[in-house]
Amino acid sequence: MASTGGGAPGTYTPTPTKKTQRSSFFSDSDVDWLRPDGRGFHQCRPAFFRTGAVNSAAGSAYAEFGNTKVIVSVFGPRESKKAMVYSDVGRLNCNVSCTTFATPVRGLGSDNKEFSSMLHKALEGDLPVVISCASLALADAGIMMYDLVAGVSVSCLGRNLIIDPILEEENFQDGSLMITCMPSRYEVTQLSITGEWSTAKLNEAMQLCLDACSKLDKIMRACLKEAASASLD
Amino acid sequence: MVGLSLGEKHFIQGGIDQNLRSDGRKRDAYRPISIETGVIPQANGSARIRIGATEVIASVKAELGRPNALQPDKGKVAIFVDCSPVAEPMFEGRGGEELSTELSVALQCCLLGGKSGAGAGIDLSSLIVAEGKICWDLYIDGLVISSDGNLLDALGAAIKAALSNTGIPRVQVAAGASGDEQPEVDISDEEFLQFDTSGVPVIVTLTKVGRHYIVDATSEEESQMSSAVSVSISRKGHICGLSKRGSAGLDPSVISDMISVARHISEQLINKLDSEISAAEADEDEM
Amino acid sequence: MGVPDASGDLSSEMEVDAFRHLFPLRYFERHLSESIRPDARPLGRARDTTLALGAVASAHGSALAKIGSTTMLAAIKMEVMIPSTESPDEGCIAIDFHMPPICSPIVRPGRPAEAAPVISKQLSDTISSSGMINLKELSLVSGKAAWMAYLDIYCLDADGALFDAALLSAVAAFSHLQIPIVSLNDDGKIVLVSEEDEGAKLEKEPVNKEKRKLKLSSIPFSLTCILHKNYILADPTAEEESIMETLVTVVLDSSARLVSFYKPGGSFLANTSAVQDCVALTRQRVKELQEILDEAISGMEID
Repeated sequence: MASTGGGAPGTYTPTPTKKTQRSSFFSDSDVDWLRPDGRGFHQCRPAFFRTGAVNSAAGSAYAEFGNTKVIVSVFGPRESKKAMVYSDVGRLNCNVSCTTFATPVRGLGSDNKEFSSMLHKALEGDLPVVISCASLALADAGIMMYDLVAGVSVSCLGRNLIIDPILEEENFQDGSLMITCMPSRYEVTQLSITGEWSTAKLNEAMQLCLDACSKLDKIMRACLKEAASASLD
Repeated sequence: MVGLSLGEKHFIQGGIDQNLRSDGRKRDAYRPISIETGVIPQANGSARIRIGATEVIASVKAELGRPNALQPDKGKVAIFVDCSPVAEPMFEGRGGEELSTELSVALQCCLLGGKSGAGAGIDLSSLIVAEGKICWDLYIDGLVISSDGNLLDALGAAIKAALSNTGIPRVQVAAGASGDEQPEVDISDEEFLQFDTSGVPVIVTLTKVGRHYIVDATSEEESQMSSAVSVSISRKGHICGLSKRGSAGLDPSVISDMISVARHISEQLINKLDSEISAAEADEDEM
Repeated sequence: MGVPDASGDLSSEMEVDAFRHLFPLRYFERHLSESIRPDARPLGRARDTTLALGAVASAHGSALAKIGSTTMLAAIKMEVMIPSTESPDEGCIAIDFHMPPICSPIVRPGRPAEAAPVISKQLSDTISSSGMINLKELSLVSGKAAWMAYLDIYCLDADGALFDAALLSAVAAFSHLQIPIVSLNDDGKIVLVSEEDEGAKLEKEPVNKEKRKLKLSSIPFSLTCILHKNYILADPTAEEESIMETLVTVVLDSSARLVSFYKPGGSFLANTSAVQDCVALTRQRVKELQEILDEAISGMEID
């Protein structure tokens, strides 16, 4: 742990004496356990959005889902140096960075930056938040879009499906499903699944996510409207 | 890069509409598949697979390592894909990097299961040597030699074949080490444990062109796709992973439909691969 | 410089925004001659400054500092290290300043910002030389274990005076720092004492029960000024910094002693009186910042 953790070799994060095991309440048979933050299985964390978080950007947004906090900035448009000939499509470059204190063990996110696949893994749970926030930032930058994109994930723990999992829950999950969609067009733009799923479970999880996406979409739209009416005043 | 004229594009799309693709296949038909195992002697297991003009190699290397502190009873598996510039001039330099990463992530998503290890094609707890102290780290490397579409399915099949070709040396752990000490190990040169690959899923990619979807698309067909869904399915018919490519959105009901089609196709593919793999193993033994 | 009056003539006909972009220096100098800045500040006034403690739940101490729209997020994570043999009862502080691509259009992904390592070094020098933290307080078991405090500061929005905001967030994070209670186990490793165990009888006594907070003596605060002709502009925005290049940063501690002084080049040579003016402005600013910090801390205590 010491070698993968902190920046300088030889330092370590003191851990509790008790080993973190899959807690008893995550057991398969018991359906009545509480989630660590007291939410219901199908209840998302309270979501908060605000546009215009970064002044120097063309568009930006801040999102807060419980303890997950994300800022997205949009810069540009810039002249492409790679394009040699005229092109009628633009390019969208995405870059995600993670603070060293974002994970319980310091530096777990950023040290692995060269393995972008690992970064992807580290970000797994926060990815839907990042995606939703990014679509809001693009809207704030005044870029034309088909629709806002909302992202939600579901974890499968034993027989239960829990929506919008936190890191602690994800560490014990048997499977995960993430959907990003354009709610007003009812189209799925991205879908990724890990772990073993039966068809019935899969359909249930997809429906849960889609419903949550449309709720999220309402919050995001409200945030944009608020910003727009504030700028009119 | 595939440069197609407007006429060629119409020809491909029209063929798919009429269930007769430009190479004479139906929408749900694969190109001929051939498998060779044990192609890299230094690796613990390896396989080469050809699907039409697409050719990939997968190799498995096993090394002793330390298990993750969060999961002391499990080994580790890392999957990396490299796109050789031999396959396509575009892969020269860093050109293949993006595709390589995308393929690696999709393979990890499809083969490694959930965080707790449930649904993984590779049983991670079988890789443990001494709990919390020593485990096997599997390094699975995929190499794209020739690229004519459907890379993910080919890589998935190659990894499945390479794993069934993999022998892991038997390890004796010396008793007596306590506390934080690393126990001594004795790695056998003769005895190898065969890997159980019955749980390794296959990957079926359905590529959507126009209103229809096709399996085993060539690069020319892929250039006309609106989106593609790759589903990894185990022998039992369970979904073990899924990832989507392509910019166009899909209606949720279309996705459900694609999954059930993929499940149907996977049954045939698993049987086909199994017979090819055992034939390849038999060939190798003869030589 | 060929046609010095060209812009002057045009200014009456041109739109304000166009004039600002075409002749930025003239635009600013016109304001300066009226003793006002484009954002309506007098020359010597700093922008509105806010401080929020405890912004990062996963860190042991954290703070979010805003000076105008320049935003800094600082967080401290405590890890355990084995102290060096030269100083067996001292801990260590590692400071890192980051400028992720979200903070400014100048920073591009994959190319680290040039300013970041410079500010990183200035922060470490300032904090260590100010003597704000007694490294002995970070010791746990002499010669065996001590705290390593990793302070990471992220610039979330870069709009000038980066060092000032970074330093403010850093000292605020240290004043918010709550050191976890730990004890030494049989293997010689430091382990956490969890909240539930606190009341119960422990097999091992905690080694730092009394040392949950660091005692901060003489806290450093800073002010960056632009020197341009005979004007001094306190707390510049990014636009001002890009147009007028001579910057002076003065760091004073809470008892108004000079901790550090930076003047990284620039075309205007400061005379002594200008330097004295900068120090005087900083002395004013230190009082303001001290109040803002005290307010933030007392706000925390009420919660």
